[in-house]
Amino acid sequence: MTTVPAVPRSAPASCHDDGAPLAAPVGAPLVVLAGAPNVGKSTLFNALTGARRTVGNWPGTTVEVGRGGWLVEGRVADVVDLPGSYSLDPLSPDEALTRAVVLAEGPDRPDVVVVVASAAHLARSLYLVAQVRETALPVVVALTMGDVAERRGIQVDAGALAAALGCPVVALDPRRRSGVDGLVEAVGACLSGGVAVPRLVPPAPSQGPDELAAADERFGWIDTAVTASVSAQVMTRRTWSDRIDRFAAAPVLGPLLFLGVMWVVFQATTTLAVPLQDALDALVSGPVSSAGGWLVDTVGLGQTPVRGLVVDGVIAGVGMLLTFVPLMALMFLLLALLEDSGYMARAAVVTDRMMSRLGLPGRAFLPIVVGFGCNVPAVSATRILPNARHRVLTALLVPFTSCSARLTVYVLLATTFFPAHAGTVVFAMYLVSILLVVLVGLGLRATLWRTVGADPLVIDLPPYQRPTLRLSLSVTWLRLQGFLRTASGIIVATVVVVWLLQSIPVGAGSFGDVPVSQSLYAELSRAVAPLLSPAGFGQWEAVSALLVGFVAKEAVISSWAQTYALAEPASSHDPGALGAQLHETFTVASGGHTGAAVAAFMVFLLAYTPCVATLAAQRRELGTRWTVFGVGLQLVVAWTLAVLVFQVGRVFW
Amino acid sequence: MATSLARAPVGIELRVVGAVGPTALTRRLAELGLRVGAHVRCVQKTAGGGRIVDVAGSRIALGRDVLDAVQTVPTHPAQPAEATPS
Repeated sequence: MTTVPAVPRSAPASCHDDGAPLAAPVGAPLVVLAGAPNVGKSTLFNALTGARRTVGNWPGTTVEVGRGGWLVEGRVADVVDLPGSYSLDPLSPDEALTRAVVLAEGPDRPDVVVVVASAAHLARSLYLVAQVRETALPVVVALTMGDVAERRGIQVDAGALAAALGCPVVALDPRRRSGVDGLVEAVGACLSGGVAVPRLVPPAPSQGPDELAAADERFGWIDTAVTASVSAQVMTRRTWSDRIDRFAAAPVLGPLLFLGVMWVVFQATTTLAVPLQDALDALVSGPVSSAGGWLVDTVGLGQTPVRGLVVDGVIAGVGMLLTFVPLMALMFLLLALLEDSGYMARAAVVTDRMMSRLGLPGRAFLPIVVGFGCNVPAVSATRILPNARHRVLTALLVPFTSCSARLTVYVLLATTFFPAHAGTVVFAMYLVSILLVVLVGLGLRATLWRTVGADPLVIDLPPYQRPTLRLSLSVTWLRLQGFLRTASGIIVATVVVVWLLQSIPVGAGSFGDVPVSQSLYAELSRAVAPLLSPAGFGQWEAVSALLVGFVAKEAVISSWAQTYALAEPASSHDPGALGAQLHETFTVASGGHTGAAVAAFMVFLLAYTPCVATLAAQRRELGTRWTVFGVGLQLVVAWTLAVLVFQVGRVFW
Repeated sequence: MATSLARAPVGIELRVVGAVGPTALTRRLAELGLRVGAHVRCVQKTAGGGRIVDVAGSRIALGRDVLDAVQTVPTHPAQPAEATPS
């Protein structure tokens, strides 16, 4: 079993490592929400906590939980929204967390466990109740989806169910926020009341030697409760969802429809978001920078390095962060809509077979496709994977997908060095990218995750429903906030550091007034250059572009323009004078094997760190350790591949 | 004669008579309602060789290897019990 660190009670809202605002006072009663997937647990959590909540990783894990304050009869309770889980016997890290939090002892022991159960799938929802009722924890059952059940001819008698389960049952509809008062009352009674009496004496240990007998006992107990409370159970007819699934999950049409949906997501994150990004970029580099510069001039610091720090450091950094906002918002909104509508579960089914070869579930396909547009939202899109281990593997593979920012550099280099075959060269880069995703995926699976087999496909398909815009928007806003909070620091800091390095002169010149070639930045590039000589591009002009590319690939071409003190080419299809300079650099660096060196450079550019924003997103999803591992992995892959390409290529070119 | 869910005909009501496989898998199937004695129905075939199965009114998508692990018999013996190639 995976062990999960419990969080001390004194840090109620520390789901974010940067310290989110406290939602509940220290020592507040702890209420945990547990329940099977697709029973409306998170909707209930949103209804209970309103704006007083955070969503983030549980400390020390990559498992996402919601946490917030809930006003229960005059006092604020600390509510934790746990990942969906059918039982306390964990199959994944997410379920292990549910077990750890529910069964925690000492100061972390929950005061009330609210098990959210669906009236439409009552028997299946009650296994968790059966297990929690074996402990002395007070349990309240929140019965959701009464409307869905009714449409199927199922009526659940909450009173009879409560009598059979031996704990309060509250019927409610979190989507319409009805029945929540009843839950407040029931939980309030538990908080002021005493200890619950376990349903079994002595309580059966859930991991005991005779686990099968224990499970049989629970199923028997559940059957008794269901028989006592459910009035009519009919085998359902063909539903609307079945009709849609005739296409959406069908052998040939299903994958085709999925490709269509992917195309829409990809278009939205490229064509639709790009004009917004450009507009924001123009706003920041134009009016905002001028205003900032004017402000610095007005306070009399115009001739000092402060001007550069404000305009080229801080404003440029914040501007870069802002350009990601429309892209991320759009991405989060689309994901929320796909999940809320029920389609995501179908997408997981139709792509399962293909992705299982990489040890990944079908829905991992989506972040990887999005990565070809931009890696940053793609890393965040790994949130759709319920299993934390799959999320780590996918987020490590995403940077190998060639994003559109890298495309501009390929085009410039291909038109400069291989004018007759530019299109083919660029296309080849995309093939290399796909190959890298597959090979690195297989490699990681064979080494780090050897024990993780592809999970057998068992997916509960929720009925399709019209997505609620309010819910989707609130999820989007919450995730966007989380991204900005965790990503802003690292992005702005990196842009400021690069500005600083380019401003510090080595030898002649004064701070802030020095040609790039004589800055500390160029000096650093020269120091790193010999490492890349085996790959055929160990010249500081080439290496410095890679250093800038670490911040953002969009900046590579403009940095070359700066390096060679040329005007930036108007279009990457027409390199002009820059082309001649680049020719010289690569020819000198490679000892005449120019083509091989350029190919090696392009492969390196594809495989190493995409940009600092991707790192920030990875750090948010995976934590610092996995992010550092990812950077190392990419540098090793990039260097090895570049050296290989050059050493083989020089035989021919 | 028991047939696996992978080979059972689509559309008719079946009764589960056994499930083989790793404990984690059979336990998960039992939690979802797929356990001995349960009544199920194959709704349709899916991309990738799997099927959607109706278990007590909910729809569960199962992969090929999971389907192979669940043994069933038709609830009404009058209906054709012959396995159909899938």
